[in-house]
Amino acid sequence: MVSLSIDGRAVSVPKGATILEAARKVGIHIPTLCWLEKVSPTGACRLCVVDVEGVARPMTACNTPVKEGIVVTTTNEKLEAIRKQVMELMLVNHPLDCPICDAAGECDLQDKCYDLGVTKPEFQAALNRKLIRYDWPLLESDPNRCILCEKCVKVDHEIIRSDAIEVVARGEETIIDTHDGKSLNCDFCGNCVGACPVGALIDKPFKFRGRPWTYTVTRSSCGYCPVGCEIDYHAREGRVDRVTTSDDTFCNGNLCINGRYGFDYINSEARLKSPLVRGKKGDWDQAMTLVADRLKEIVAGHGSDAVAGLTSPRLTNEEQFLFQKLFRSALGSNNIDSEAGFGFARAVEIIKTATGVSGATNSMDRIEKAGAVLVIGTNPNAEATGYEYRVIAAATRNNGKLVLANMADVKLKKISHSHLKYKPGSEAFLANGIAKLILQAGLEEKSAEEMISGFADYRALLEKLSLDTILEKTGLTDTLLRDAAAHLGGKCSVAVLFGSELIRSGTPGAVEAVVNLALLVGAVGKDAGGIFPLHEKINIRGLLDMGVTPDLLPGGASAPVKGRDLWQMIQGIEQGKVKALYLVGVDPLTSFPEGGRIRKALEKLELLVVQELFPTPTAAMAHVVFPASSSAEKCGHFTTLDGRLMNVAKGVTPPGEARNDGEILTELLNRITGGREAAEFAQFPAEIRSAIPDYGNVTTAPKGPFAFTVTPIPESPATTGFTLLVGPILFHNGATSTWSENNRQVAPTPYVELQSADAAKLGILDGGAIKLTTDAGSLTGTVRITQRLQEGLIFAPNHFPEFPVSGLLMGNAVTVAVKVEKG
Amino acid sequence: MAQVVFSSWGRNIIDNRAGGEVVNAAFRLPVAFDGSRPLNAFMGWDGIILFDKEVDIPVMAAEYMTRVQTLFCCGKCTPGKKGTRVLMDALTGIIEGRGSERDLQLCEEMFQLLQNCKCTLCQSATVPIYDAVTHFRDDFLAYINGAKKRPGRLPYRFIHKQTAPCQDKCPSHIDIPAYIEAIKEYRFDLSLQTIRDNMPLPSVCGRVCPHPCESACRRKNVDESISIMLLKRSASDHEWQRNHLPPMQPKPRKEKNVAVVGAGPAGLAAAYYLALEGYPVTVYEALPQGFGGGMIAVGIPAYRQPRDLLQRDIDIICAMGVEIVYDCRVGKDITLAQLKEKHTAVLLAPGAHRSKPMGVEGEDKGYKGFLTGGIDFLREAYLGIPTGMGKKVCVVGGGNTAIDCVRVALREGAEVSTLLYRRSRKEMPADIWEIDGADEEGVSFEFQVLPTKILVDENNRITGVQCVRMAMGEPDASGRRRPEPMPGSEFVVECDTVIPAIGQDPDLSFIPQESGIDITKWNTIVTKYLPLKDAAGKDLKDGMGNPLARTLITDLDGVFASGDAEIGPLTVVACIGNAHRAANVIGRWMEEGKVYLTDDEIIEDILVYLGVYDKNEQVPWLDSAAREEQKEIHGSQRASYKNYNEVELGLTEEQAVREAERCLRCYRVAMAAVR
Repeated sequence: MVSLSIDGRAVSVPKGATILEAARKVGIHIPTLCWLEKVSPTGACRLCVVDVEGVARPMTACNTPVKEGIVVTTTNEKLEAIRKQVMELMLVNHPLDCPICDAAGECDLQDKCYDLGVTKPEFQAALNRKLIRYDWPLLESDPNRCILCEKCVKVDHEIIRSDAIEVVARGEETIIDTHDGKSLNCDFCGNCVGACPVGALIDKPFKFRGRPWTYTVTRSSCGYCPVGCEIDYHAREGRVDRVTTSDDTFCNGNLCINGRYGFDYINSEARLKSPLVRGKKGDWDQAMTLVADRLKEIVAGHGSDAVAGLTSPRLTNEEQFLFQKLFRSALGSNNIDSEAGFGFARAVEIIKTATGVSGATNSMDRIEKAGAVLVIGTNPNAEATGYEYRVIAAATRNNGKLVLANMADVKLKKISHSHLKYKPGSEAFLANGIAKLILQAGLEEKSAEEMISGFADYRALLEKLSLDTILEKTGLTDTLLRDAAAHLGGKCSVAVLFGSELIRSGTPGAVEAVVNLALLVGAVGKDAGGIFPLHEKINIRGLLDMGVTPDLLPGGASAPVKGRDLWQMIQGIEQGKVKALYLVGVDPLTSFPEGGRIRKALEKLELLVVQELFPTPTAAMAHVVFPASSSAEKCGHFTTLDGRLMNVAKGVTPPGEARNDGEILTELLNRITGGREAAEFAQFPAEIRSAIPDYGNVTTAPKGPFAFTVTPIPESPATTGFTLLVGPILFHNGATSTWSENNRQVAPTPYVELQSADAAKLGILDGGAIKLTTDAGSLTGTVRITQRLQEGLIFAPNHFPEFPVSGLLMGNAVTVAVKVEKG
Repeated sequence: MAQVVFSSWGRNIIDNRAGGEVVNAAFRLPVAFDGSRPLNAFMGWDGIILFDKEVDIPVMAAEYMTRVQTLFCCGKCTPGKKGTRVLMDALTGIIEGRGSERDLQLCEEMFQLLQNCKCTLCQSATVPIYDAVTHFRDDFLAYINGAKKRPGRLPYRFIHKQTAPCQDKCPSHIDIPAYIEAIKEYRFDLSLQTIRDNMPLPSVCGRVCPHPCESACRRKNVDESISIMLLKRSASDHEWQRNHLPPMQPKPRKEKNVAVVGAGPAGLAAAYYLALEGYPVTVYEALPQGFGGGMIAVGIPAYRQPRDLLQRDIDIICAMGVEIVYDCRVGKDITLAQLKEKHTAVLLAPGAHRSKPMGVEGEDKGYKGFLTGGIDFLREAYLGIPTGMGKKVCVVGGGNTAIDCVRVALREGAEVSTLLYRRSRKEMPADIWEIDGADEEGVSFEFQVLPTKILVDENNRITGVQCVRMAMGEPDASGRRRPEPMPGSEFVVECDTVIPAIGQDPDLSFIPQESGIDITKWNTIVTKYLPLKDAAGKDLKDGMGNPLARTLITDLDGVFASGDAEIGPLTVVACIGNAHRAANVIGRWMEEGKVYLTDDEIIEDILVYLGVYDKNEQVPWLDSAAREEQKEIHGSQRASYKNYNEVELGLTEEQAVREAERCLRCYRVAMAAVR
């Protein structure tokens, strides 16, 4: 610790802290404009000048480290004069368009001028006006208003690593612009707008929508991915007009495009506003009565196995709980499942067996301090963007080594120390290969042999596996694997992140192999690092915790009778055993595999109930459609991947006659059971609390016992021909964001990515048509030629209802053998 | 002798405008900018020097500030960005007849306020402006009162240059503040791009450069200099460690082409810059494939410069379109005349690889165990051929090569490795950290000793070196005390191997006498230069005693020279700077048929002569951030048999960013008025 005196007050701060940090610690205010806690100090505005005794010039507090015994003065006549004059200089050529500036009312420059008594322009220069960038999507840049604080550039580069904007030109002409002067091409997270202290960078969707102070601001949780960012809905006259966040939240004010701009689906004209009965507008009573009566009849006539239901991870914990209660206690059926059944639920089970924790084994922020990070079988940029920010922090600001393993080049490649671009389906070989080399080099966690059961079997498995096989299966070189092993082995802490490409790999044993590797390098049980299974949608963990699975009750106890999982439901429908299906926020025709088979099955149902926001393809087939609500229109809680309980608050009311999912489920429950339960979700319900005591306590550093799960990898035939990979992209999340005009601005239409070499072979040009055929069906799409894949690999985003490419997949895997033709 | 009309340089006012007794002052500036065009005035960070009273100071001040604001001001702090704009507009307004006395007052206010700039560029640029409005007030008032109008064509031109103490001192003139600032902003890639603008071997000069820049670092005036060299390594290692491809793209390929003799630092650097311009370059290297790099490869052991990284730098240069023909000794496998025939231009960069004799009795007798020289020993050890070294090794010399030899001897299996040097430890020309490194590895030192005789047994095998102790004698005519033998202090150092490492000079035997290429008595190649002279009429020389501004063409048209063979044995960084200059001159010669230096190159040389760093400057700054130190491998194991693993590990990126934060970004802008 270093002791110093500021304005006569003694303060002690850690070595390396700045004078500004020391001052803040004792509540001494030093004015700043360019300082942003979450990025490196800039020292541009010069407002934070302070006097240090014995130093013959004022020092800037924001970037001057403290020194033992220094005596600091933060305010005196001379310093005040400097601050005032610097502000006066800042106003030279600053446009006086405050009346129509978006930032008016929340502008740091306005506030500082007011605070420092800067009342008139003291200095002049020839008028200089710069081009306003109206041509950027979602963001608008007015360099005339810019004070060159560089917050935007630093957020863009240090946190997001989009590297899209820079300080360009010289002197008064200096502006923030794209590095090549072209239109903005970035992640469109808008965090630069969030950081902008003035009206230089603004949200286009919010421009001229209203004055900031006229909005009702509601702090809630983003409804997209399971990072769980706290967001503020700014609503007026029943509309959400913008979403912001703040730097003092767990996610440090760093959203993604979905969080900041994806709210637009809430305001979509396409929203369902009234119940539909057999495709026609109905009323709630009629629709409710019909569903309740038919469900009761079917259970009475065919037994409780004849009803089944699926929910979406977008529902709150309260709604998930009600859903399973409806099925289990009102209808007597365990036939409930969700997309977690495609693999996530199993991955959680594997982690639980290995570590005792159901989900991420550490808090998300602990990734940042890991000595090494393994990202395997996921593109966190698309799957859970907030996790990518943590990986970036670890690998660029905190000396962590990054090993990236996936089938294509993704954004993280540019900061990775090792990129393992493996062949589709070889994940288990890859993980075991790295583990083998780590053991060979003696770089494993030293306590592994003693602390983790099954070590001997694991070692035996790895020893038996030949390196040649591994290299052949993965398509990688010996050097690449050894480098990766050297980066991951022997570190004080390691974070391991994996996602759908691993969880839904075509080869069994992949998740086990990665979890074993994680245990081997000591990823679990430390303050930093951990195992982090990623998923695309917010409440996947809450859904499992609330018991929306065919075999587990809320809190994880086994159900007395295992119900049908989702594939068994389809089979049951095909066999005529399952007669009724209740879908809440689930659109199998857009997002499930084997689309053709599922469509046929749905057609056979006696009762298909769809509870939805939008007229989805599946809703078009439903007997009854309940118009439901978005996460901005309800209260409740989500659970993040790392177990944080997030508060969901109501920012606006649902449109038309649409209702909260919780209210709908409660009423249906009441109608079936004749009960009188109230639909009230602002507080975490006592019923859930009693079912799962301690819920919402984040697990950090579990103490074990830990266990290797040793599963031999089955020999799979070498794939020949093309493989189709279906997955998420950054600019959308699920299908929900495809209803947001904002997201459609940057990712308007579906496409099929084709490696340039393959395109040349097939004679397909960029923008040309391509026909994809698998055992599940065929589909024709538009080609986008790329260099980021590998030969033989094709990628298509899974979001677009108008291009249901997930339907081409077979079973649970996100990859499938595909026949490719020029369309 | 040119008379100074006015000077405020160094805050020391000399004013001869009023007449009376002339006060004179000597400045380290040439009287004529390029040897012929008179230097009329000089304006910069430390004031104004006026040689010709006809120079219009208000006009020059307005122009200076306009250039600072529009060409150099980075815009990254409020006072700099806005303050220099306000000044530029005020000064321009004055000479355009729109000014008032308030504007002069404004100049003084800005001089005060810009003390609060983020760096010294704009801040130091207000110094000559302040001097101008203070000492040339009447000239400004003449414009303000309308007595004077903006002149039309001026009888002189303004030539500017941005520099910094470190950049000026660096023989390659790398834009050091820029590459450090990029690291501070976590832009390791941009940092490396800046480095490569002047330094194509960044992994090398990030590791083994003697970093003269750090001796001219203004941060030293506060506490310790910035770790400039290691930051270069950080930028270079970043690209390598993250598997990035270098971003450079050479220009479209041209017809005219160049032969380069020697794949050492000079040859490689010239080849790189010529290749970037699109010229096909063929480098002829005497050593076999895999041993490119010249003195870096054969003279710097791998524990200081890992071979894979040197090779990576070479591979990158080759990827720009440079062809290296290995195993080809010019003069033997191909003649200079043939090269000249085959190529448009030829650059001679053979280096200095011939060991000098040490002048001791017995050295010419062909004793077993007497090796020809340090550099030959290092080369053979590196090439993996027998060196003839035994178990007890004596190395004679005090430079870096001598140190490299004693350390390599340990790695080649010597049981005892001893260094003999005739002066004291602190007088050794070797870098301190290299001497310390040898110490840690167990080298024994004998300081202030002079070998007098090589002792041998009946089979002419060396058994020892007879030495005599040295003491400092009386000052000689130049006032320097020289070491002299102490009578009666003879003793014997037992050994079986003696390696003289006294120094090297170039082997220029491949240059036929009839070529007309002149060679100095120090065995370096003579090149042409600009006749820059000071006020006393003396030729301006660089630190090696060579003419200050050289065009690097030899006496034979189309043949140029660079590197150790041109400068005299010096450093990698000096060779690279020199070769970059040669590449520029060669390019112009090929395109325009003329050999000349640009104004920018001339003012660069002039600034080197003037000096930008002032070790006596008081730099007010809080000394609260200590220099970051890199990790090193310690212990005797690091020098074990055949262990050539790198000893120094560089800074972590986190450390690099913290170190970069310490930089004071001491940019300065100079502007000369030249007739």
